[in-house]
Amino acid sequence: MPAVEGAAPSVDGERIQVEEARARRDSAHDRRFGWLLKLCALLVLAALLGATLVTLTGGWSAFSTYGWHFLVDATWHPDSQHPDDPSTNVFGALVPIVGTLVTSLIALVLAVPFSFGIALFLSEVAPRWLRTPVTSAIELLAGIPSIIFGMWGLLIFAPFFQAHAKPWIDSHLGVDPDTNQPSWIAAHIPLVGKLLEDTRPFGGSVLTAGIVLAIMILPFISSVMREVFQTVPTRLKESAYALGSSTWEVAWDIMLPYTRAAVIGGIFLGLGRALGETMAVTLIIGNSMDLSPSLLDQGATISSTIANQFSEAAGLQKSSLMALAFLLFVVTFIVLLIARLMLRRLAAKEGN
Amino acid sequence: MHSGLYLRRSIFNVLALCLSGVATLIGLIFLGWILYETLVQGIGAMSTTLFTRITAGAEDGGLLNAMVGSLILNFIGIAIAAPIGVLAGAWLAEFANKTRLGEAIRFLNDILLSAPSIVLGLFVYTFVVLPTTALSHKNISFTGLAGGVALALIALPVIVRTTDEMLRLVPSTLREAALSLGVPQWKLTCQILIRAARSGIITGVLLALARISGETAPLLFTAFGNNFLTVNPLKPMSSLPQIIYEYAKQPNDTLNAMAWAGAFVITMFVLLLSLLARLILSRSKVSHD
Amino acid sequence: MHTGSETAVGLDKSLPSAPLAPTKLEVRDLNFYYNGYHALKNISMDIPEKKVTAIIGPSGCGKSTLLRIFNRIYAIYPKLEAKGSIVLDGENILGPGYSMNRLRSKVGMVFQKPVPFPMTIFENVAYGIRHHEKLSKADMESRVEQALRSAALWDEVKDKLKQSALGLSGGQQQRLCIARGIALKPEVLLLDEPTSALDPIATSRIEQLVEELKGEYTIVIVTHNMQQAARVSDLTAFMYMGELIEFDRTEKIFTKPGKKQTEDYITGRFG
Repeated sequence: MPAVEGAAPSVDGERIQVEEARARRDSAHDRRFGWLLKLCALLVLAALLGATLVTLTGGWSAFSTYGWHFLVDATWHPDSQHPDDPSTNVFGALVPIVGTLVTSLIALVLAVPFSFGIALFLSEVAPRWLRTPVTSAIELLAGIPSIIFGMWGLLIFAPFFQAHAKPWIDSHLGVDPDTNQPSWIAAHIPLVGKLLEDTRPFGGSVLTAGIVLAIMILPFISSVMREVFQTVPTRLKESAYALGSSTWEVAWDIMLPYTRAAVIGGIFLGLGRALGETMAVTLIIGNSMDLSPSLLDQGATISSTIANQFSEAAGLQKSSLMALAFLLFVVTFIVLLIARLMLRRLAAKEGN
Repeated sequence: MHSGLYLRRSIFNVLALCLSGVATLIGLIFLGWILYETLVQGIGAMSTTLFTRITAGAEDGGLLNAMVGSLILNFIGIAIAAPIGVLAGAWLAEFANKTRLGEAIRFLNDILLSAPSIVLGLFVYTFVVLPTTALSHKNISFTGLAGGVALALIALPVIVRTTDEMLRLVPSTLREAALSLGVPQWKLTCQILIRAARSGIITGVLLALARISGETAPLLFTAFGNNFLTVNPLKPMSSLPQIIYEYAKQPNDTLNAMAWAGAFVITMFVLLLSLLARLILSRSKVSHD
Repeated sequence: MHTGSETAVGLDKSLPSAPLAPTKLEVRDLNFYYNGYHALKNISMDIPEKKVTAIIGPSGCGKSTLLRIFNRIYAIYPKLEAKGSIVLDGENILGPGYSMNRLRSKVGMVFQKPVPFPMTIFENVAYGIRHHEKLSKADMESRVEQALRSAALWDEVKDKLKQSALGLSGGQQQRLCIARGIALKPEVLLLDEPTSALDPIATSRIEQLVEELKGEYTIVIVTHNMQQAARVSDLTAFMYMGELIEFDRTEKIFTKPGKKQTEDYITGRFG
């Protein structure tokens, strides 16, 4: 028996050695593999951090030259001969900041009720056979590149708006540009006349840019709303119906409060898109750096200003554009952060 | 007794539901309008010279250099973003699921997904264009490569997200089965899990391609544009979206028509890609059940 | 024999007909926790070599958990902890120095639902082998054939080895998973409710296969189906709420159970 016992460990011992060498190799490979993957994932972090830092350092000289005037001054005056001279270069970003906020606001005001209507229609009202094709069609809208929206807006929608919508606005809401005759609304409600003053014969304006933005963010907001409406427990809806509620009352009193956080998340997601959207707005808004109170006038947004001016800018102008990019990035980051946090609250609720 | 209230409520209900239908209809009308114009104007402007001549000829030219440029830029973008995105997604799903860093990166990736692409373009301008400018002693070295990197940054979060989601759908028994054979983690991830989630991951890559193929803003100051045909990624490069942008702005019907033709090509490409992505996903679902 | 065997719930050695076999897995004072929850309590048992040992009990009793400790597959999840010892061929597999690779080449496992890898049928079997041994093409082919034959699948798949394993029926997939497990030439084969997702015909094929395999492998099978335990196993362990209540020859468990709880469970299910 001792002979057998002696032989067994040596064969087994060899096998153990081989296996252990392999185990060491595997765990070393696994460690390296884990690090490689982690590195790739950290690139996501690096992109966000990098974009923030690059625009902050790039915009630093603008921030330090103009201070808080950069945010409230409406003068945008580059001096291409001496791009680094602060006495001849004056940059205040009020116009693009206001333009960004106003176009996004118009987009939200238009897109939110429409999205709610679409989501309600697709989750409660439409017959079942209609839901899938209409849902896919609305989602198709989200896949169309923004440059197509921009071109359609510039070449089709703006002329259409100029020819058909503007005369109506002038005579019913604003001021007739030929006779200077204010409409009933403009005469009785302050500011409306100024807001809808028609000074230029262009369809492209802050208002049309906002409308096109609304069409662009519509599928994002409506698909979030539709998805979260579907998470409302059936028993909750059924108990409301059992009390005699109408479909509209169930939607407004039960579904909307139940999904409120996620609906707000969806709206903020749309807002984040609207704030950062570049090409469609750049083509439509006209890129005028003059401050105008009228929505029918041309304007600029942060992203359209960058797209329009960056490749030919130098010195302080370039820095000012970087500073604008920094502002845009930080604001959209915060908006999207709120959006995702709101959406996650619903996901957590679903998990329970 | 309450019939007045009932009547008011039910009228309001019918009205509200009708309005929801109208809202949907208006949304569909705009979709139809945009697609209709793109198709009609685009097909109307189609000609063989579009595919054989370059933009240097302006009205007498074509879009050849822009189409070739777009293909190269998209290729560079996907070639960079796909491997990195798949590995990063695998890290989120397999190595860092439910860890704090993993959750943070998953969250930030969702934000990068909708971050303004023009700012990402500025990031690439500073990190790729400026350093290569310093190296080449030229004026400013805009390159196709820089454009591709910018597109990669836009494609990356799409691929990371779909890979992460698709891998998390793979049943954990598959992991257990492989590990119980003594297979190490890296082999399990590369050879089994990614293969099991293959159709979902391919879908993600196709969607990312659809996303970047219409992207314009970050190319303006990275690839910059080039009126001549080049396949050299170290030179400035033209792209379809950028030519659409430039031609649409011109008060010139011929150039506008060419922009519509470009828009038609891009829209068809994007629609085909999303159709293909859906097809792959639905077919893989059928075969797994 | 080991001194600890007195403490183990084990074979009633006073019975002359007890199927005595050398112990393959010696479990001592095994406790298992997840997230602080005490899932297995002081399990001690001797699993004999080249016999079929069945583990039965109501769901949630810890039978699958116990099985999943035998090849330490639980260790891929965080916050799980096993204390105690499981001695396989004289070494504690729960010890810090024991290599996972070695454990998993010695202990194979088949899961509740068939989980073929997304590869061809041939590759499914060859995949695991390739990780542990370098074989020539011809050797690999004969090894795969041998494994598929042992799993009683060869005749059904020999003409479609290059096709995807996902196209096989559920029962075939499960036999493929068994082939994949035995292709590594393990000494112990763990079966975790291997027929719960299969129809009766596929189930009886798997049971027949277990019968054929037990001459070569030590088999531990977890099952919720008591008839199955009675049909295929030599020994049966009954678990309840994380504890091992009784462990004895199958015949004795099903005819003269020693504990009241075992009897209640068995008669309750049969009655």
